[in-house]
Amino acid sequence: MLELKNISKQFDQKVVLENIDLKINSGEIVSLLGPSGSGKTTLLNIILGLTRMDQGKIIFNDEDVSNVGMKNRGFNIVFQDYALFPHLNAYENIVYGLRNQKDTASAEEVREYIDFLELTPHLKKRIGELSGGQKQRVALARTLVTKPKLLLLDEPLSALDGVIKESIKERIKLIAKEFNLTTIIVTHDPEEALTISDKILIINQGNISQFGTPFEIINQPSNDFVKEFILRQLQIKRQNIYNLFGEKYA
Amino acid sequence: MRNAKPEMRIIFIVILLLFFAFLIAPLIVLLFRSFVTEEGVGFSNYMTSLSDETLTRAIGNSIKVSSTAAVITTTLAFALAYAVNCTRIYQPLKNAVKAGILIPMLTPTITYGFAIMYTFGNQGLLTKLFDRNLFEIYGFNGLLIGYVIYTLPAAFLVIHNSFKYIDKKFIIVSKLMGDGTLRSFLNTVFRPLLGALGGAFVLSFILSFTDFGIPASVGGTYEVVATQLYQAMLGSIPDFSIGAVIAVLMLFPALVGVFLLNYLERFNFHYDKFSETELTPSKFRDSFFGTLSLVILLAMVAVFAVMFIAPFVTAFPYDLRFSWQHITDVFQSNDLVSVYGNSLLVAALTAVFGTVIAYGAALLNARTPLRGKQTVDIFSMITNTVPGMVLGLSYLLLFNESSLKGTFLIIVLCNIMHYFTTPYLMAKNALTKMNPSWETSGELLGDNWLKTVYRVILPNSVSTVIEIFSYYFINAMVTISGVIFLVSAQTTVVASKINELQHFAKFNEIFVLSVLIFLTNLLVRFVCEALQKRAAIYKK
Repeated sequence: MLELKNISKQFDQKVVLENIDLKINSGEIVSLLGPSGSGKTTLLNIILGLTRMDQGKIIFNDEDVSNVGMKNRGFNIVFQDYALFPHLNAYENIVYGLRNQKDTASAEEVREYIDFLELTPHLKKRIGELSGGQKQRVALARTLVTKPKLLLLDEPLSALDGVIKESIKERIKLIAKEFNLTTIIVTHDPEEALTISDKILIINQGNISQFGTPFEIINQPSNDFVKEFILRQLQIKRQNIYNLFGEKYA
Repeated sequence: MRNAKPEMRIIFIVILLLFFAFLIAPLIVLLFRSFVTEEGVGFSNYMTSLSDETLTRAIGNSIKVSSTAAVITTTLAFALAYAVNCTRIYQPLKNAVKAGILIPMLTPTITYGFAIMYTFGNQGLLTKLFDRNLFEIYGFNGLLIGYVIYTLPAAFLVIHNSFKYIDKKFIIVSKLMGDGTLRSFLNTVFRPLLGALGGAFVLSFILSFTDFGIPASVGGTYEVVATQLYQAMLGSIPDFSIGAVIAVLMLFPALVGVFLLNYLERFNFHYDKFSETELTPSKFRDSFFGTLSLVILLAMVAVFAVMFIAPFVTAFPYDLRFSWQHITDVFQSNDLVSVYGNSLLVAALTAVFGTVIAYGAALLNARTPLRGKQTVDIFSMITNTVPGMVLGLSYLLLFNESSLKGTFLIIVLCNIMHYFTTPYLMAKNALTKMNPSWETSGELLGDNWLKTVYRVILPNSVSTVIEIFSYYFINAMVTISGVIFLVSAQTTVVASKINELQHFAKFNEIFVLSVLIFLTNLLVRFVCEALQKRAAIYKK
């Protein structure tokens, strides 16, 4: 279980996050949803240990990790642009971390991850030769091989198009279930957040606007921001789909 | 954001110390010395120097010949860059221009002077061909030709690089809008290039103003600042105070020039996106620029041709029978072979340590959260401003009493500082462009910082590292202005040896040594390019 207690952060006098307080259960997928500049990426980086918080505590499985460095926290992230190493091929990227900690994953386990992400045909390819979806899966594999206790994903779908997006979405859900891995996803897209996660944390101007399940957010929006910013978009999308397919598909 | 690691701090401190000891301290001493007299501290050195008619005349001469050279160089460089970028001339000719223009960079400037003498002088190649003296070469004319050849490559590169950032689609848009040739040219080529043209002019001026090799060979009795500085320090009556004053005076136009360059930067256009566009055909344009670039190229080759002919004939220009005599003479002379060995050693050490320092400094600046890392940018601005002769002189003043005097180390350090700016900016540019999350990824995958640098950052910038190495090597091989005050009998390098040899009229030896430098540099360039190509394929 991950507990965030009263987390606050300022950059040059400007408040970026204020009193962020929440609990995330093991194996849950939680999305951090908000417009750009809302502080969601900062929160992700604070959880990762990359950015220092000014106030608050991070408790992971009853252990206070607030002052544990990024490297020792045992969490891992897939960046929006994947940050794959272009001079290595897909396989070399995936096993990069094993050079440092040989016993984290056995050869057998590595093969399982590769199979699971359907990367076997692409292992010898250079990063430049991979498609967006393939890069995303290589980055996921590279991260999973280190067996993180918490998986962080920064805008994992924003660089992908249509069909690939849906398949990666399913893949992420499968990973969380298969490895019982708590996953936190940053996104600015309400549809994405509501269809992938167990719970959504809506952030606006550094504050929690609402934290709840997709059902709660759709049916009991807690304020105007959630209504206007989040639900409105979905309603317009729904209307467009209705117009295309006709009301009978509603 | 991220925290600075102890290993970053250690490297930073080492770099800071190096720059304080070998850049800031010498320059402070130089400035101080220019004010010190036997009676105390004051402006009297400046008064004495500026009332000296020879020196003021030399300054006037330097300004006159350097600005004339800069105008010609900028015009020629623009014509060549235009031919390469904006015409549909035969591709091999474009390649020949791009490669040929760089030839002068591979030889010391002092050699150009002798090449000019052997081409245009009384017994010169062209004089024989035309059967008369074309013009008096010692003095203004010789300097002018030398400076133009010397600064043409740099000016061409500045303009050529800017051409890459010009969206050629605008030329087509302008045509479609009904612009005439002149208006179209002014709006779509000239105006966007204004900053680069100004930059090329300033660069050409500074390089000419501060060069020592060319006036040392064809200057004759025409005084320029560089030769005055040399006279003051190593002439019959050395006067270190006056030398310091002249050095400060020489620093001044360079300082103004660097400010001008920064100002001109504003005129540069920055298009973020542009696509390859086919150029409109024009027979007249292509034949005009094709011919022009061919003529410029041939003229340059003609001047250098003598360097490759003279050493291989019995007695140029009287007896033109082929002979290995001069080559074998040089290789049998222990003295000259060891001088060449010294040059190789200095160039190799400069390249290795220079690359480490420039890359390290850029790495700290571009990819770490260190506080105060901007200091490195300031150092790079200073090294960009200080001419080689001034730096060398300030080393002489500071280290004359120390054990560094007369060592290879002092020459290597001077070269590293002298040529720091370009390698540093190359590395910084490459490193800034890389994915900013690599270090974090590496750390999350269990690396420490140095390990990520070694396993990820370095392999992804191999090409730049090689480029920096070859830049340092070639420049250390050809520089004369930076080392002329620092070489001792044991550490003489080829460029400074040439300066000695001219007093004994040993021109064959001069040309053999020059050809050696040229071929060595060419070899290094080829090897580096081959390695870069391999790195590029490997990355694909």
